[in-house]
Amino acid sequence: MADKLNVITIAGSLRKGSFNAALARQLPKWAPEGMSITEAPPWADFPTYNADDQNASGFPASVTALADAIRAADGVIIVSPEYNYGVPGGLKNAVDWVSRIKDQPFKDKPVAIQSVAGGPLGGGRVQYQWRQICVFLEALAFTRPEVFVGMAAQKFDEKTLEFKDEAGINFIKQQLAGFEKFIRKVEG
Amino acid sequence: MPNVLVICGSLRKGSFNAMLTRALPALAPEGMKLTDAPRVDTIPHYNYDDQAATGFPPSVTALADAIRAADGVIIVSPEYNWTIPGTLKNAIDWVSRMKEQPFKDKPVALQSCSGALLGGSRMQYHLRQCLTSIDALIFGRPEVIVTFAPQKFDEATGELKDQTTRDMIKLQLAAFAKFMERVK
Repeated sequence: MADKLNVITIAGSLRKGSFNAALARQLPKWAPEGMSITEAPPWADFPTYNADDQNASGFPASVTALADAIRAADGVIIVSPEYNYGVPGGLKNAVDWVSRIKDQPFKDKPVAIQSVAGGPLGGGRVQYQWRQICVFLEALAFTRPEVFVGMAAQKFDEKTLEFKDEAGINFIKQQLAGFEKFIRKVEG
Repeated sequence: MPNVLVICGSLRKGSFNAMLTRALPALAPEGMKLTDAPRVDTIPHYNYDDQAATGFPPSVTALADAIRAADGVIIVSPEYNWTIPGTLKNAIDWVSRMKEQPFKDKPVALQSCSGALLGGSRMQYHLRQCLTSIDALIFGRPEVIVTFAPQKFDEATGELKDQTTRDMIKLQLAAFAKFMERVK
């Protein structure tokens, strides 16, 4: 295993001012010494999943790019908003695509989950849906500490989108440190 | 007499779930009219910036209008990775953002097919969770969960030939008609 773990983030929101995407971009600041965190290739232009299209023309290049990045990574951090008490359809569609690829990229892959929401639960409901999906994918879902960022509007700088909540930053640091240990443990 | 919109969560031609939607009219109680919803595959990925810049795409407003005009909705969907297909969830995410939110107070029943023994039930319970957030009136039982789908449909004709399943669907559709009448 490399001295420095290669961890990629996948953000579940497409809007520019997204708190979730902003949090994903800032994670490198709080990564432990032994972990490098970069953003995964984008899923924004994935077509809607249709097995007929897959059979006719195979996997789109954007799908294989994401799959390759996941395979090459030591771990994945999903930073996802909650839409209608559940997983955002756009990102779920991306996972549906990559899950159909041979040498399924999430298999045995350590995955940590974070969520940001405007309300008090901070995306609690979406995280447990992600955990159920991870069971199917045979991903190794990291458990605790969990990172739920509630009342987001009070915790990010309105202009710069800098995450400035000390308690939240501590949780994130603890999670990333725990995730590093977890990855090293399961990768042996 | 109720006008019911059917939303299918699978796009492929040979989909068992699509076969199931085609079986429904013959099993519906007298007077229930079933209509296929506009397709969801041309709906772009939800992005608030796009919504703010250009409003709701015609594919989204067409679906929303169809839901609003219906007395009830039946969602027939496969399970992908133990939950709702991304495409279907994305369609719900879009319409849920509209003023006069189309699912609000709308009776919704669920059906699913899968090749294995749980019949898409995990997807159905996630859908119940999501529909709770948009104030749909979610029909309870009987549930239609079609397991081992390849054994229950004629693969050549697409016909639903399993009598137990047909009976269960009849019961659900009859009960759904009563439910819609009650909550109207």
